[in-house]
Amino acid sequence: MAKEFWRWKEYNWKNEDISWKNGSTISAGIDVGSVSSQAVILVDGELYAYSSMRTGSDSPKSAENAMNWALDGTEMTMQNIHYVVGTGYGRVNVPFANKTITEIACHARGANTMYGPTVRTILDMGGQDCKAIRCDEKGKVTNFLMNDKCAAGTGRGMEVFADLLSVPIEDIGPLSFEVAEEPPPVSSTCVVFAKTEATSLLRQGWPKNKVIASYCSAMAHRVVSLLERISVENDFVITGGIGKNIGVVKRITDELGANTLQSKYDTQIAGALGAALFGRALAEKERK
Amino acid sequence: MITQFRDWDLNRHAYAKEWKERTGGKVMGYFCTYVPEEILYAANILPVRILGSHEQNDVTEPHIFGMFCPFCRDCLAQGLKGRYDYLDGIMIAQSCLHIRQAYTSWTKHIPIDFQYYLPMPNNVQSPHATPYLTAEYIQFKEAVEKWIGKEITPDDLQRGIDIMNENRSLIHEIYNYKKMDNPPLSGEESMEVAITQQMVDKREHSVAMRKLLDEIAAGGKSTKNTSGTRLMILGSENDDIPFVRMVESVNGTVVTDDHCIGTRYFWNNVEPGEDLITSIAQRYIDRPACPSKDWIERTRIPHILSIAKEFGVKGAIVIQQKFCDPHELDIPAIIKSLNANDIKTLFLEFDVTVPLGQFKIRVEAFLEMLQEDDLF
Repeated sequence: MAKEFWRWKEYNWKNEDISWKNGSTISAGIDVGSVSSQAVILVDGELYAYSSMRTGSDSPKSAENAMNWALDGTEMTMQNIHYVVGTGYGRVNVPFANKTITEIACHARGANTMYGPTVRTILDMGGQDCKAIRCDEKGKVTNFLMNDKCAAGTGRGMEVFADLLSVPIEDIGPLSFEVAEEPPPVSSTCVVFAKTEATSLLRQGWPKNKVIASYCSAMAHRVVSLLERISVENDFVITGGIGKNIGVVKRITDELGANTLQSKYDTQIAGALGAALFGRALAEKERK
Repeated sequence: MITQFRDWDLNRHAYAKEWKERTGGKVMGYFCTYVPEEILYAANILPVRILGSHEQNDVTEPHIFGMFCPFCRDCLAQGLKGRYDYLDGIMIAQSCLHIRQAYTSWTKHIPIDFQYYLPMPNNVQSPHATPYLTAEYIQFKEAVEKWIGKEITPDDLQRGIDIMNENRSLIHEIYNYKKMDNPPLSGEESMEVAITQQMVDKREHSVAMRKLLDEIAAGGKSTKNTSGTRLMILGSENDDIPFVRMVESVNGTVVTDDHCIGTRYFWNNVEPGEDLITSIAQRYIDRPACPSKDWIERTRIPHILSIAKEFGVKGAIVIQQKFCDPHELDIPAIIKSLNANDIKTLFLEFDVTVPLGQFKIRVEAFLEMLQEDDLF
C-alpha cells in the first residue's frame, strides 16, 4: 500500500502532576471535527489529559475512541466525569455529551485559556473550514465569519498537497521556506483547482519546496481576506491543526503585519478545551 | 392553526387554477410588490406574485445573466417550466434591473394574453413621484379596462382598496401578537400567513386570518417553541420557510422581519385622499421602501430600528440574495446601525437553495453569542 503522506500522528497526553481523585469537578470536551477529533479532560479547570485522533466515518465511534484514548492510563472512567460538552461538526453525535456548544464558541473560550485574556481575534483553521472569531476578555464571541463554498484554506487542502507532493504533512511548513524567493501563490479559491495548478507547475520543473511555498502562500492569502472582513484586533492567535504549520502561520502574520501569541498548549485542542471549560461551568451551575 | 395557510402555500398553483374555474375570473401574475393590487381587485382579477421554487434549474441560462440574483432566475424558471400556465396576464412595477430582466424574458418567451410594464418611480422621495405614479395608474387602469372589456368604476376601486386594507390590517393584528413574550405563532407560521397573502384571493385569506385571530384570542397557541431568542430577519426577498424552520429548531424565534414577503408588503394602508387613484399611488410611494427606491435619504434604517424596538428584537439575521445589488449597498449601513443600537447581526448570503447545514452552525453560534448565560 502506498504511503499516505497526509496521515498526521495521533497522540494522547496526561498530566502526571494532577491527581484526579482529589478533584471536585471533572469535565470533558469532545471536539468531533470533519478531519480530526479531540477529547480534553479537566480537573477543576486544570488540563489533565487529552487526545487527538482522526475522525472516522462514524461520529459517535470517533467521539468514543478519542475519549477512551484520553482516559487511557488514567484509571478514570466516564462515570467519574461530571459533565461532557460536545462540539465540532459531529457534536450532535456524541452519545455521552450532556450538552452541545458550537466550535465557534468553544475555540474562543479555549483560546482565552490557552493564550490569555488579551486575545481578541482567533483564526481557527480546521479540517474543512476556517473561522475568524472576535471575542472579549472572557473569551465570549462578539463576532465571527466562516469561509464558505470550498475547502481552500483548510487542513484538508494541506493534506491533499502532502499526498500530491509525497511530503509528510509535518514537514510542509519548514520546507516551504527552503526557497530562494517567494513564488506567486497558486489558485486560492479551490483545492481541486490548486491541485491541478500545482501538478502543472511540477510538470514545468518547479521543485517541490517551491510548490509547497506557493500553496502555503495561497492558503495564507485566502484566510487573510477572511480576517480582513472581520478586522483583526490584537492579540491575534491561530488555533486548529494548521496552527502547527509554520509555513502558513508565518505567511499569515507577515501579510497581516501582526504577531501571534505562542502557547504551551497544542493548538489543535482549543475547541475541546473550550468545551471542557464550558462543561466545568455547567457542572458547577447545576450544583448550585 | 395554520393548516389552511400551509395548504395554500404548498398547493399555490392548484389553488389559482381552482379559483379561476370557480369564479371565471382572470389571474394576473406579478413581479415585485410595488404592483397596485387594489386596481386588480377592482377589476375582479386575482393577483398572484411570481415566486421561485427553491430548486436548481437548467432552463434560465440563455435568458438571464449568471450574475443576476438567484431569486429572479428562479422566478423565470417557473414560467419557462410552465408552472404558471394558468396566468392570463403578467406585469411588473419597476423595482430592480434583475427582476425586470425576468419579466422581459418571460414576456418574450411565454405567450400570454396581457402584459404590462408599470413604470414605478425609483425616486419616491421626489415631490413629482406621486403625480407621476397617479398618471401611470390612470393609464394602467385604462389598459386593464380595455383588456377585461369593462369600466372600473370608483365603487370598484373603493372595493379594491377595502379588500387590500382589510387584509393588511388583519395581518398587522397577527404580527401584534408577535410582540408578546412567547408569541402564539412561530416565525415559520407567521411566514406562511404572510406568503399566502401574495397568492390567495385576499377575501378568502382575510376570512382565514379572522379565524386564526379568533383561535389566538381564545388562547390558541403554536405547538412549536416560541420562547427562543427573539430575532428579526431582513434583507432581500425571502420566502425560504425551511431556513426559518431551521433557525427556530435551534432555539431562535423570528418575531418580525423587513422583507417584501412580510412587513414591507403590508405595513401601510391606503389612506383616504383627494381621489382614489391618487390615494393608492400615495400608498405605494409612502410604503416602507425597497432599497432600490430608498434614496436620497435612507429611510429604511430608522424604520428597521423602530420595528426592532417594537418587537423586542435581540438579534437580526441579515440576508442577501447573492448578487442583489440594491440590498448589498444597503446592508453595511443597516448592520452598522443595528450594532450601534445593541442589536447584533448575522449576515448570510442566500442562493436558490440554502445550505442549511452550513448555515445552522452560524445561526447556532450567533444565538450563543446573544445568550447571557454566565459560563465564563
